[in-house]
Amino acid sequence: MKLDITKVPAIIDRHPRKASSLIMILQDIQKEYNYLPSEALHKTAEALDVPMSKVYSVATFYNAFSLKPRGEKVIRVCVGTACHIRGSRQIQEQFEHHLKIKPGETTPDMKYSLEVVGCVGACAMAPVVMINDKYYGTVKANRIKQLVGKG
Amino acid sequence: MVNITINGKLVQAYEDEMLLTAIRRENIDIPALCHHEAVEPYGACRLCMVEITKDEWDGWKNHVTSCLYPVEEGLIVNTHTPTVIELRKTILDLFLAGSPRSTVIRKLAAEYGVTKTSYEEVPDGTDCILCGLCTRVCDKMGFSAISAVNRGHGKEIAPPLNEPPPDCVGCLSCAYICPTRYIKFTDDGKTRKIWGRKFKLLHCEKTGQPTITEEFARYLVKNRQIPEDYFKINDLSHRKELALKMGEITQWGREE
Repeated sequence: MKLDITKVPAIIDRHPRKASSLIMILQDIQKEYNYLPSEALHKTAEALDVPMSKVYSVATFYNAFSLKPRGEKVIRVCVGTACHIRGSRQIQEQFEHHLKIKPGETTPDMKYSLEVVGCVGACAMAPVVMINDKYYGTVKANRIKQLVGKG
Repeated sequence: MVNITINGKLVQAYEDEMLLTAIRRENIDIPALCHHEAVEPYGACRLCMVEITKDEWDGWKNHVTSCLYPVEEGLIVNTHTPTVIELRKTILDLFLAGSPRSTVIRKLAAEYGVTKTSYEEVPDGTDCILCGLCTRVCDKMGFSAISAVNRGHGKEIAPPLNEPPPDCVGCLSCAYICPTRYIKFTDDGKTRKIWGRKFKLLHCEKTGQPTITEEFARYLVKNRQIPEDYFKINDLSHRKELALKMGEITQWGREE
């Protein structure tokens, strides 16, 4: 699949041309492509007159950014303290089993990405799973298959 | 000028300078791995920790990184109290766990009586202590070819996208400033290799000695208004002139 990078200049143009726009632009690129293509990083660096090393530094610092293509559905299994206690390990294993990928990986058909995250701030409904922007609370291991279909 | 007391001795310090500078002027040995006069203080290694107090603080004391603490009228500084030594030992203990094979760290730790870490050694621990000197000097030189990437345990110094850095000119500032000599390069007098990139060296027409890389010369000509024929010869008078010019560019020269 050839990547269509032509949307990047328009994204950059939506923001003031200054270094402080960097994170906003990266967020918008991430939203558009579901990851940060390296060509887009180069274009951003050039447009803002920010060194490429700094752009890369920011892009690798935040978990919200991904440098590898991500699937249509990003499944985030919370493994924070509360979720851990309520069995997030089994939840994570079930996802790994059903999707046949490890955290940080994406299925070959580009449908699903699996990630583990620290805490999503919804400990009361632990264990929590996020599928894209949606939260699923008190997740049970035997309902993972069903969850994968949803979201 | 401000008056401060260092280890019981009344000394004068320049306004706006940091404690570490004033302490070192008194020939007091304080370890610091992330400090260099050429770049802004950073406070990463924490080894230059000292104890400070003031008469009016009613016995209250604080421990601060002297490289980042501006001098202040009436400050009373102690550089080697038992607590300070203990703090430095702990920091060196941690460094030893993170970089178990670094000769620099091991030597420094041994000076403080720490020969083996009391923590678990990091299995794939490198000699890089993330002091940030290399990235800071690279920024100061005007290249910004390398930077800190990732976060937490995965943090490391790397060129963008982990590819040979396009903005690098092979000046070797990063390698020379690295306190643990972690940044490696090779130089056989003809070619220089660093960060996965190869650079061709220029040679002095008079002496035949290698001077700087082609890329570095091109950069100085293009961006720093240094005449092109400047790099043809490399005798001493020339080098002084270039050093002064570089000082001007990078504003290293202290304003008197």
